[in-house]
Amino acid sequence: MEYFLQQLVNGVTLGSIYGLIAIGYTMVYGIIGMINFAHGDIFMIGAFIALISFLIFGLTSIALPLILLFVLLISMLFTACYGWTVEKLAYKPLRGSFRLAPLISALGMSIVLQNFVQVAQGARTKAVLPIITGKFEFFKDSDFVVIVSHLQIFMVLLTIALMAGFTFLITKTDLGRAQRACEQDKTMASLLGINVDRTISVTFIIGSSLASVAGMMFVLYYGVIDFYIGFLAGIKAFTAAVLGGIGSLPGAMLGGLIIGLIEVMWSGYISSEYKDVAAFSVLIITLIFFPTGLLGKPEIEKV
Amino acid sequence: MNNSVDLKKNIKDSLFTGLIALAIFGPIVGLRTRLQKEGLYIDPQWLMVMFLVIGSALGRFLINLNSSRTAEIAFVKKTKLNISNYFSNKGKHLAITGVLFAIAYPFLPFTDRYMLDVGIMVLTYIMLGWGLNIVVGLAGLLDLGYVAFYAVGAYSFALLSTTFGWTFWICLPLAGIFAAFFGILLGFPVLRLRGDYLAIVTLGFGEIIRIILLNWYDLTGGPDGIGGISRPSFFGLPFTNNLKEGEHSFHTFFNLEYSTAHKLIFLYYLILILALITNFFTLRIRKLPVGRAWEALREDEIACKSLGVNPTNTKLTAFAIGAMFGGFAGAFFATKQTFVSPESFTFIESAIIVAIVVLGGMGSQTGVVLAAIFLIGFTEIFRELEQFRMIAFGLAMVLIMLFKPKGILSNREPTIKLHGDKNEQ
Amino acid sequence: MSNKLLSVENLTMKFGGLIAIDNLSFFAKEGEITSIIGPNGAGKTTVFNCLTGFYKPSTGEMVLHNNNDSISLKKYTDFKISYKAKVARTFQNIRLFSSMSVLENLLVAQHNELMVASGYSIFGLLNLKRYKDKEREAVEKAKYWLDLTGLTSRADDNAGDLSYGDQRKLEIIRAMCTNPKLLCLDEPAAGLNPKESSELNKLLKFIKTEKQTGILLIEHDMSVVMGISDHVVVLNYGKKIFEGTAKDTRNSKKVIEAYLGVEE
Repeated sequence: MEYFLQQLVNGVTLGSIYGLIAIGYTMVYGIIGMINFAHGDIFMIGAFIALISFLIFGLTSIALPLILLFVLLISMLFTACYGWTVEKLAYKPLRGSFRLAPLISALGMSIVLQNFVQVAQGARTKAVLPIITGKFEFFKDSDFVVIVSHLQIFMVLLTIALMAGFTFLITKTDLGRAQRACEQDKTMASLLGINVDRTISVTFIIGSSLASVAGMMFVLYYGVIDFYIGFLAGIKAFTAAVLGGIGSLPGAMLGGLIIGLIEVMWSGYISSEYKDVAAFSVLIITLIFFPTGLLGKPEIEKV
Repeated sequence: MNNSVDLKKNIKDSLFTGLIALAIFGPIVGLRTRLQKEGLYIDPQWLMVMFLVIGSALGRFLINLNSSRTAEIAFVKKTKLNISNYFSNKGKHLAITGVLFAIAYPFLPFTDRYMLDVGIMVLTYIMLGWGLNIVVGLAGLLDLGYVAFYAVGAYSFALLSTTFGWTFWICLPLAGIFAAFFGILLGFPVLRLRGDYLAIVTLGFGEIIRIILLNWYDLTGGPDGIGGISRPSFFGLPFTNNLKEGEHSFHTFFNLEYSTAHKLIFLYYLILILALITNFFTLRIRKLPVGRAWEALREDEIACKSLGVNPTNTKLTAFAIGAMFGGFAGAFFATKQTFVSPESFTFIESAIIVAIVVLGGMGSQTGVVLAAIFLIGFTEIFRELEQFRMIAFGLAMVLIMLFKPKGILSNREPTIKLHGDKNEQ
Repeated sequence: MSNKLLSVENLTMKFGGLIAIDNLSFFAKEGEITSIIGPNGAGKTTVFNCLTGFYKPSTGEMVLHNNNDSISLKKYTDFKISYKAKVARTFQNIRLFSSMSVLENLLVAQHNELMVASGYSIFGLLNLKRYKDKEREAVEKAKYWLDLTGLTSRADDNAGDLSYGDQRKLEIIRAMCTNPKLLCLDEPAAGLNPKESSELNKLLKFIKTEKQTGILLIEHDMSVVMGISDHVVVLNYGKKIFEGTAKDTRNSKKVIEAYLGVEE
């Protein structure tokens, strides 16, 4: 029982990371109907920028909470630039093109980003000492002590805060309304005076920022990163987005949590070698049997 | 009057570009982390960053100056047409020249062992490209996991060869059959998915295969792989220097000095023949109803359904046949290396093969050849710049999508004509 | 007296809470042209989509009569509507295989017969006579329709290069190459100039008399509807408000009201 609770805690934490990345996938798919293949690598870049920022701030004597805040903001800012640039260079010119073109372009961009980081930072993994330490212990008297670390609490709270702020942004502000309008009908939205290009750019910026938060969390949680983490995390996050219902924001978060739980439970109870196979299998099963996902809207194809 | 306004705008634009470049190159390039025993150190690379930032801003400035948008489009259109027309008019001649060149290749003066190796590699990718061309180019199904069939072919060949000791010529067709079987297995549930989703699912499948190969130690040897795979012989004459009494090998039979080059040249012709068979098959099947149905499916699936074409069966056929050729190529790979391991079957391989097909022009056989030579041969020669090779590769994918999304050779000739060939007059 | 070809009985199509088609019943006869007309949004294309297997109707029956057989169209979806039930259709937004030639478009329509003749490609790969003969036959059939519509000279051009009117014609003769019993045309006259419209009328009349194919037509162009229809069904808000001959339809008060509104 205690073991199960531990997996639950770990799963929710991991799920937060996936959920934040998944939001980027689902938003971009919702507004321009393409899978942003390079999004996972944006997450990876966020992780690297966070790592570097931590190293630099580590040399100062600023208080930890302030460091976290600064790294968060810096990471979001710089990663957003990446997302914005990728969109402008590789996707925007292809908006009218045939279906496969943006996908191939995204594939190319993903390869560029991965190798760019590999060349610039070296191919070896980078590691840092734990930054947020401390934990709470439960069930101390039983066979298995359930540990909930401060870091885990921080991650989940941050995710909740971002989700809340973000939902507010989408439902209550002009920006959010513009976004939802563009999702429905871009031509009409532009005829009504909405700057579609800017709305799309903002979508990418938001998605990238959230991915960078996930990146920062990854650095804090695992302490080890390399240029390849984007690929795997990207696929799993995309699975989460599809599972939750592509185009649905709460769905992306929900999907993230489920994928995180599945991965941890599978590792914990069955085998950790095949945990990635579990994630891919979920993807395949979801797409075959529940293509609209849990919270998604069914698409009727117009003939 | 206009010029000064434009100039100001241009400068503002370029400065903005420089700023963005600073954000992009600053942290990642500028603050290079280095792993030491005690922890990570940072080596600032400000010179590099400055260079990149100024370069970006300058580049933007020049681009803004040089092209009015219309001139740029006209220029690109003109080069597009020229290349496409050139190749479509001379299509047959080019193909024959190409084949002749390929046959003569091992005996050309500049072809040393290294170049022969490159030739074999290029031909392998050409075959894989032609195989995937059936799936992606003709049927329009974006398969990002083609490497899985390559792997199935290679590993089944390896297992059959090492477990049962069967010869290459028996294992080869079996490898293809296994791969085709996997193609049907994978294809059946997923082929009704839409483009993007199909892409991701096939990618997932490719990865699943790789992970299984990596972890199922008992069957596949895990990360150690399978070694000791037999090499094919020349009609019974092995290419070896270790001979028993009274037995002939290739070099003794033909009275030649033993040379490892013989083996290599034989392998070269082997892959050449396999590739040409793939090509011949594809050209033939395009003229048959199923081949036409593939292309029609790629154009408009709903229209196909309204004409009574069974989309699932048609797609499955494409998938299975494409997989089969991938399997054959895998078998060749196994026998050439005499060793297989999961490292050779990563997602990047799938991406490269997809790039070859798309860049060459969907459905164009000649395009695949050109793209393979360019992407593989060209970048192989620049192996020293290994790291930048992949960046250039990814950039090539993006750039070609931006300027020639239909690929280099996007001209399509109909597979059947009512009025006969105009060129044959 | 021609036989009834299609009977639609109590067809209802709901999308969530929205009732697109409400208890619709009508019939179409062999060798006759039946037009479905009505203001925009009346549900006409929805009826087509139900008949041709793109939507699954909520309730109701659609029966195709073939000699003594009756086939319920509800059974078939997807490609089987054309393959088994022999119902062909064209689309509001022309769906040709644009990068393929005109001839190739017509050959794809004969896919199933050609597949069998090619022994599912085996005979074809071996270039056997059996397949070659069948292919020649198929090309002849294509040529027949091309000659009829004056498109023979364009046979080897890409379908996407044809003029709009020619593309419409091609879509129709492509559908005819599947030997349908019922041909459903979705706004075939849309965007055609008067000359092209009258050519279309000629073609459709030919199809109905020479081939005895039943034609079901959605149209807004009244010159086409009134010019060639043997039977007219009028829809409004998903309900049938009139069914009869072209002449009676023109004079029906209900129909006029539906299109022009009631005088205050």
